[in-house]
Amino acid sequence: MNNPALTEVVISLLLVVASLAITRYWKINVAKDISLGSVRAFVQLIAVGYVLQLVFDIESVWLVLLCLAVMILIGAQAAASRIKGFRGSFAITLLAMTVGSFFTLASMLALNIITMEARYIIPLGGMIIGNSMNATALTLDRLTSDVKNNRLAIETSLALGKSWRVASVGFVRSAATTGMISILNFMKTVGIVALPGAMTGMILAGADPLEAVYLQIIVAYMLLAAVVVTSIVTVELTIRKFFTRFHQLTLND
Amino acid sequence: MSRPILESINLTRTVSIDNKPRTIVDNFSFQFQQGGSYLIIGPSGAGKSSLLRLFNRLDEPTTGTIRFHDKDQCNYSPCKLRRSIGYLFQTPYLFEGSIIDNIRYADSELSDDDITRLTDMVHLRSNLIHSGSSRLSGGELQRVAMARLLAMSPEVILLDEPTSSLDPTHTETIEELIGEIRRKHSVTVIVVSHDPAQALRIGGDALLMVEGRLIETGPVEQIVNNPQTEFGQLYRDRKLS
Repeated sequence: MNNPALTEVVISLLLVVASLAITRYWKINVAKDISLGSVRAFVQLIAVGYVLQLVFDIESVWLVLLCLAVMILIGAQAAASRIKGFRGSFAITLLAMTVGSFFTLASMLALNIITMEARYIIPLGGMIIGNSMNATALTLDRLTSDVKNNRLAIETSLALGKSWRVASVGFVRSAATTGMISILNFMKTVGIVALPGAMTGMILAGADPLEAVYLQIIVAYMLLAAVVVTSIVTVELTIRKFFTRFHQLTLND
Repeated sequence: MSRPILESINLTRTVSIDNKPRTIVDNFSFQFQQGGSYLIIGPSGAGKSSLLRLFNRLDEPTTGTIRFHDKDQCNYSPCKLRRSIGYLFQTPYLFEGSIIDNIRYADSELSDDDITRLTDMVHLRSNLIHSGSSRLSGGELQRVAMARLLAMSPEVILLDEPTSSLDPTHTETIEELIGEIRRKHSVTVIVVSHDPAQALRIGGDALLMVEGRLIETGPVEQIVNNPQTEFGQLYRDRKLS
């Protein structure tokens, strides 16, 4: 495969046309979604390509941090918007994703696994933020619905003199597990069921497969740490919003 | 002479329902004497359960105070207070695990003898105690919840419509159990009931609540059969929903 240029990208549009034809033949009404999705993917990725080029050329720490901050802000907003009827969800997703992402990136820098260069920090940060976003959204959604659906269980525990921490511990643990499930499943099946994106990308770009594998292992461990920290921060921040300092359950939201 | 164990002074709780304030307990003042037996009666929505939740400090009053042993409720840790003022919910909830696990949830240091004493107290068949809650009838569930409550050795027991989900046979056994607990233990019992006939069967001092307010107090026979207030008469004649 040659290094792709715009010509190859345009030619690959034939696959979009084929998809349109197939779905039309089968009367699956997704023509609008396919057209819009294809255009959006094209425009968004071209735009991000130029932005990355600029960031890599300037190579400023502040610009890198600004990029990470923007990605976290948008991700936190997307995660919070999935949770309906829970006040303060944006602050929780923002803080959880910030802590999870920066903890992981800072650890990788401190352990000398990566260096403070835009070409490492931005793509790895993007992967970390994407996974943290899913983890915080799943954790928050599970915890809020569990607490709301188990009022009697929680209040029975409180009425038996237990603290809010004891009364909610089962729901906190299962919500945190929910946030981690996708990365745990990924680690169990990686390399067997599918080759992950980062590794595939490196191999396509001509890298030595073993080198690509090493990077992929690092990425997997990095995502695990980010998701674990994000999920824990999410449950710790969320569960407190359900209780008063007098160990009373409040379900006003 | 007995002395007050629990006292509410000008107790009010206002909540927001559909963005409108609604007073569910309205300026409620009363002294519950140590070892006394009380029935809180009144129509649905009178604020009876809300009052019990305030006594157990599951909710905060908007204004007014609750005193326990002559000290403001706020001077006690909520967890310790709830172990002294036990609360049995209308629908009993049992945690995963066996009956023994559920009773030990209230006190992990209970010995096997303690468990036997508690299950005997609530007349629970001994062959059930190792099984989970799925095998139990409604009446048995309520008795396990009662044993778990008694495991804390509370000084006050709040029973919120304890027979509302039971059939007549189980209702009778729970009412008998309440009578036994009152007779054999020096514990203050406060039962919420919307049913005047049940109130008469359980007996004690009655407090009639309507729309969050305390309307009338006195022996249950008087409140149910010969009320002195207009609301009391309406309640007797079943004209309050």
